[in-house]
Amino acid sequence: MENVTKRYGDQVAVDGLNLTVKKGEILGFLGPNGAGKSTAMNILTGYISATDGNVRIDGIDILENPEAAKKKIGYLPEIPPLYLDMTVEEYLKFVHRIKKVKSDGIEASMTRIMSLVKILDVRGRLIKNLSKGYKQRVGLAQALVGDPEVLVLDEPTVGLDPKQIIEIRNLIQKIGKTCTIILSSHILSEVSAICHRVIIINKGKIVASGTPKELAKKANNSNIVLLRVKGAKPDVYKKIREIQDVKLVQEQGVNEPGTVDLLVEAKDDLDIRETLFVSLSKAGFIILMMKSKEIDLEEIFLDVTTNNKGGGM
Amino acid sequence: MLAVFLKELRSYFTSAIGYIFMGTFLLITGIFFTMYNLLSASPAYNNTLQSLITIFLFIIPILTMKIISEETKTRTDQLLFTSPLKIRDIILGKYFAAVAIFTISLLITVLYPLILSMFGVVSASEIFTGYIGMFLLGATLISIGLFVSSLTENQVTSAVLSFGVLLFIFLIDSIQQALPSTRTSSIIFALIIVAIFALVVYFSTKNIYAAVITAVVGIIITIGIYIAKKEAFDGLIQKVFDWFSLIKRYNLFSQGVLSLNSVVYYLSFIVAFVFLTIRMVDKRRWS
Repeated sequence: MENVTKRYGDQVAVDGLNLTVKKGEILGFLGPNGAGKSTAMNILTGYISATDGNVRIDGIDILENPEAAKKKIGYLPEIPPLYLDMTVEEYLKFVHRIKKVKSDGIEASMTRIMSLVKILDVRGRLIKNLSKGYKQRVGLAQALVGDPEVLVLDEPTVGLDPKQIIEIRNLIQKIGKTCTIILSSHILSEVSAICHRVIIINKGKIVASGTPKELAKKANNSNIVLLRVKGAKPDVYKKIREIQDVKLVQEQGVNEPGTVDLLVEAKDDLDIRETLFVSLSKAGFIILMMKSKEIDLEEIFLDVTTNNKGGGM
Repeated sequence: MLAVFLKELRSYFTSAIGYIFMGTFLLITGIFFTMYNLLSASPAYNNTLQSLITIFLFIIPILTMKIISEETKTRTDQLLFTSPLKIRDIILGKYFAAVAIFTISLLITVLYPLILSMFGVVSASEIFTGYIGMFLLGATLISIGLFVSSLTENQVTSAVLSFGVLLFIFLIDSIQQALPSTRTSSIIFALIIVAIFALVVYFSTKNIYAAVITAVVGIIITIGIYIAKKEAFDGLIQKVFDWFSLIKRYNLFSQGVLSLNSVVYYLSFIVAFVFLTIRMVDKRRWS
């Protein structure tokens, strides 16, 4: 995607999006509701056209040669595009036909896809009688028809129960071994679990990008340790303040009687866990718990999308 | 195109619409046939056919109301428009499916003139022409319904709007007789059309200059024609309304006159509305 912009009247939904996805990559689109995720995906798949900019799939421009470009894409929109009056089999057969799969290969391809997304047992049922989880799977099956090189999934796990979410995720990872996947979500754990690379967009612009780990590291530039120490609060507090490398001590309240929880931040990105242990045990305080606090994607997400300061990340 | 066509054809029979359409059409045709031909022992089958036109007013909107609006509403259009199909093929597939349902119903009624021919002499060529006219008129009205369906994503709105448009077309002959035919009124009429055209330009481009230029050019042309040929404005309103009088054209077929002129007239109407529908669907993706 090059410089893609979409305007609705004066409203800018997607603002100069630049994006390259490598072959075989699983890319996550992250953003709050209304950030322009779905719009970006709709442009990518040629459902709507961009006001400005180009979209190229494997070097083919989607406006210049839509038929060839669309053949390479499988798209699962936010609401799966299902014909409720059809059975699963009829529906998939129709999708095969409109995706111009050769007619002698349709049967085999249908069985393969249905067993992959585990819908063989409902193949003869009307789609309107299926549960939400099954509908989502039929939607996914539809996107897989015609062996697309690029799979675009718009919030594939929304509205599913935890077990189904895990199943769909595993499925996506499995499919991801053979093709490029772009998926959007507003659930962070999901994106960090499946994706190789994450892009956070807000108000139509990319505000952060990188691997889930990279993003976590970038935000986690200070070393923070959460402690639970046996002893009276003022004494512990005083002792810790005496340690040289400590920059900041914050109380976290009392969660266990006779102990105190503290959040200790080190100076200059130092690892102070050892120092803390040695000096506290020397003074006779017993450390019951110590863990370094990792800033997770959740916080980066909130930080980036609420303050919008993270443009440089 | 074939895949879309077959899918649409099936969907008419998995929902109630196909049955309602064919059922109503055949029931009323049967009633008319019994009353006009059997009970009064008359071989004038074309009169029966002609009176069927009134039913079109009610059943064509049923046939076309969901043709595009349903896809927009259930978002299944996302599947169609991201598939490697051309929009033209999708729309044509849908249009032909509706025409096919109509044609099947029409073919069933061919039984009636066959029944008549067992009891006396009927003019086969006249009835054949009548059927061709009927088919063309129906196909034209379906293309109008198709276009209306692309304007909205609500089936009821689509049906009511189609009904309104068809009603207007049916009444056009009576309306035009009541309209003034003087030169002054014709000029005012021409200017109103120019104004509407300029407004359309304004709302589709949001560019005030383009709209003004359209208006000015329109006014200049009107004045130019008035200076060059004053009599062109005599009865202009009637002439314009006459172009849109789909029913009047049908009467020729009903009399057994198969004129190429009328066939081309209906076909160009169909092409125009199918084309407008394609543009309309395409435009929504661009806006």
